Amino acid sequence: MAGIYIHIPFCVSKCRYCDFVSFPCETEAKKRYVDALIHEMAIAAKELPEKQYDTVFIGGGTPSTLELGEIMRIMAALHDNFSIAEDAEITIEANPGTLDVWKLAEYRECGINRLSMGLQSVNPHILKALGRIHTPDDFLKSMDMAKAAGFTNINADLMYGLPEQSTEDLLAAIAVAAGAGVTHISAYSLIVEENTPLYFDINGGSVLLPGEDETFEMYEKSKEMLESLGFHRYEISNYAKEGYESRHNLNYWNNGEYVGLGLNSHSAMHIGGKWLRWANKSEFEEYLADTDEGKRPLADEPQTIERAEEMFECVMLGLRKTAGITNGEFEARFGESLFTTFSKAIAQLDENGLLIKTADGIRLNDRGLDIENLALMPFMED
Amino acid sequence: MAYDRELIRNFCIIAHIDHGKSTLADRMIEMTDTVALRDMEAQLLDNMDIERERGITIKSSAVRMFYTHTDGKRYMFNLIDTPGHVDFNYEVSRSLAACEGAVLVVDATQGIEAQTLANVYLALDNSLEIVPVINKIDLPSADVEHTKKEIEDVIGLPAENAPCISAKTGLNVEQVLAAVVDTVPPPSGDINKPLKALIFDSVYDNYKGALSYVRVVDGVVKPGMKIRYMATGNEFEVTEVGIFSPTLMPIDALEAGEVGYISASIKNVRETKVGDTITDANAPADEPLPGYKQANPMVFCGIYPADGADYENLRDALDKLVLNDASLSYEPETSMALGFGFRCGFLGLLHMEIIQERLEREFDLDLVTTAPSVIYKVVKTNGEEVMIDNPTNLPPVTEIAYMEEPMVRATIMSPSEYVGTIMELCQDKRGVFEDMKYIEEGRVNIFYELPLNEIIYDFFDQLKSRSRGYASFDYELKEYAKSDLVKLDFLLNGDMCDALSTIVHKDKAYAKGRAVAEKLQEVIPRQQFEIPIQAAIGGKIIARETVRAVRKDVLAKCYGGDITRKKKLLEKQKEGKKRMRQIGTVSLPSEAFMSVLKIN
Repeated sequence: MAGIYIHIPFCVSKCRYCDFVSFPCETEAKKRYVDALIHEMAIAAKELPEKQYDTVFIGGGTPSTLELGEIMRIMAALHDNFSIAEDAEITIEANPGTLDVWKLAEYRECGINRLSMGLQSVNPHILKALGRIHTPDDFLKSMDMAKAAGFTNINADLMYGLPEQSTEDLLAAIAVAAGAGVTHISAYSLIVEENTPLYFDINGGSVLLPGEDETFEMYEKSKEMLESLGFHRYEISNYAKEGYESRHNLNYWNNGEYVGLGLNSHSAMHIGGKWLRWANKSEFEEYLADTDEGKRPLADEPQTIERAEEMFECVMLGLRKTAGITNGEFEARFGESLFTTFSKAIAQLDENGLLIKTADGIRLNDRGLDIENLALMPFMED
Repeated sequence: MAYDRELIRNFCIIAHIDHGKSTLADRMIEMTDTVALRDMEAQLLDNMDIERERGITIKSSAVRMFYTHTDGKRYMFNLIDTPGHVDFNYEVSRSLAACEGAVLVVDATQGIEAQTLANVYLALDNSLEIVPVINKIDLPSADVEHTKKEIEDVIGLPAENAPCISAKTGLNVEQVLAAVVDTVPPPSGDINKPLKALIFDSVYDNYKGALSYVRVVDGVVKPGMKIRYMATGNEFEVTEVGIFSPTLMPIDALEAGEVGYISASIKNVRETKVGDTITDANAPADEPLPGYKQANPMVFCGIYPADGADYENLRDALDKLVLNDASLSYEPETSMALGFGFRCGFLGLLHMEIIQERLEREFDLDLVTTAPSVIYKVVKTNGEEVMIDNPTNLPPVTEIAYMEEPMVRATIMSPSEYVGTIMELCQDKRGVFEDMKYIEEGRVNIFYELPLNEIIYDFFDQLKSRSRGYASFDYELKEYAKSDLVKLDFLLNGDMCDALSTIVHKDKAYAKGRAVAEKLQEVIPRQQFEIPIQAAIGGKIIARETVRAVRKDVLAKCYGGDITRKKKLLEKQKEGKKRMRQIGTVSLPSEAFMSVLKIN
């Protein structure tokens, strides 16, 4: 199982909470970037070991801001350079308000079979406070168009703990998304990253966040509602109708292999017996210059992850899944038992009432998932 | 060849902090060409970083200068620089005893302060001639006439002809040099009598070992002589004697009336105690010079490495500091909460702060310190008396007949408009009013009897803030007094945290218990479980707070496979946890231990 992530760093406008690399949409910049991306594919494909990829995720930024035909060019180049499985899950991220029937038709045409919509909220005031350009109505229109275009696997991203948000606001957003026929919902709590406009809004007192207890209530209530609507929780923040779990994201949580393409994208892969991680450059012009010269645009040399660290990564990521991790997978990867390697940590979590032992592994219970960071501490000490 | 004793002047400079003592010393050193101008740096005699930064003198030092007077004669000046702070009162008194005169520096913008007076009395006790000097006359707010009047009225010294100087610019400093010759008498003493040398400081030198800084009162000391330290009875052979120029410079002999150092291959400054008398082992003096006292620590606290792995480094650092500081005491102690550390004893709060700061700066250690404690006297029901410097060692309540605590007599000098608020502060600190005297119109001297344990926390800071910085403060120790004291303990999740225990007066225990519990509730981060915090006196719970459990972590989403943020977050969390102390299941940050201190 391996995935490819393609980063499209353009947005119509920057959301106030966002600290990812993105640039305003300028036709010329977009064209230069897509050219560079296609260059990079050719370079990377030559240097990386050959393998078949089972998932592709085009994320951003806002990939749906690319000009008509550009996604088609990207996908064609991808197929030229990489072996993509016949039944691959291919996702594109889109924001309501940036989609139209032609783009959607283009996506379908080039094999994209999953759509991820950034809905975030259905309260216009909250959307405005976040600096988002769409209205709740835009989402419904986009959904209609997407379904008409033939998309049957659609995710909506939601957020909670937002400025001025109430539990009712959040539940309304879930109702709207579910009513519009999404098959997957991600519900993330807002993280206020330093030096984002929202960070300054909050520190300056112009924006008020809900308190810890209110945020916790949103989280609890949204969990209940999603379950009752038939979205089962398969990861801390992700819910899906049966069979609609995101294979691309599951690969991350399984600590699987993936290649990142594009600005500031991240990769992880077993090469030459080593578990390597690397990241691409995050400076736009530098990225373009490197690919132009036929070089891979790496920010730094690939980093070798030591065996003990790789084991911890498997736990750190795997315990985000409600199914947890299995000893079978662990032993297959490391040749030793999960229960021996992490015996102390597992015993401690057990004692602290955070853990459930499954038939062939461990998983966190609800309380354990609530405080995953704390639950991981004993694994760092082993 | 002996210097004509008539031409020797031994003196020190006394002043309140910041009145310009070290600056004046610098100017004198410059004007007598003692140090080449290029080697000159400010506060030459304060050679510790911490002394320069804080503008204080911690260790005594001395310098020999030569001054040609208007009478054409060349005089030898031995200037002994002394600490000024009350913590080092005993050291100051020994330095003064080594002199015949003192230059009293008074800041013309501030006038006389509590420390000025305390030091003047010490000088008078040692029968010193005093040369008053009015400093900082270059400042616009200087009031020379008023300062002169104050010196006359408050101290009773004629000040009409006092040199009015600016130590900063050097203005009229020449007059101070001349006044020293005219006012300070030459040393008496007999070169033919058995050796008597007064130790006014001892300093550890990496090459020479522990050096005794001395004033030779009678006789002669030279290399090869066998000397005896009269208080300890230890005998050593002198390997070198010398003077301060101001660096150590060996000479053939030190004679009666002179100031210098004696090196005798002594390993530890504890062998050469300040105030002790050195004599000739083969022809000893009948009796030592008066005034020797054992300097005893008054304030104690636990010092622990923030990282337990640094325990040995902390021990090494203390071993090194104590080489040069005989009044610092330390012994290993173990706290359930803090692990291995040391119980350290200090002369006072400033001394404690300085040692903590030096440990952190000079030895790069991260420390956790417990609240300072004084020494309590516990009289047990079986009649036995024990001295307690650590609340943890207090016997069970049932075995205590009564307790006593050390008292001080505090002198507070302040503009009269602040009298009300200062008296309120003293009252609040369990002070008993003794007396109040007007020094002059608008300035008063207030006398209080106060428990030492009330002034070791934040008394000085509060005094300063209540008087807008105008009040000054000095104290002397008095005897112990019976007091209704209790031990206040804190329990975290039911486990007692020994490092938070403190001894307080019964009337204050409830308020303090509540305040500390509230403070702990603020500083202890939320954890996996709810943490009850309880304050208790003798098993009786008097206050309770709760740190609620973490409900939910903030979870970084590993977007696009970027797991570096998540890893960083976890690393940070792990580092944070490592810096905390485990009390049972509770993780306690270092600042929690200081919270006991920062409560009014």
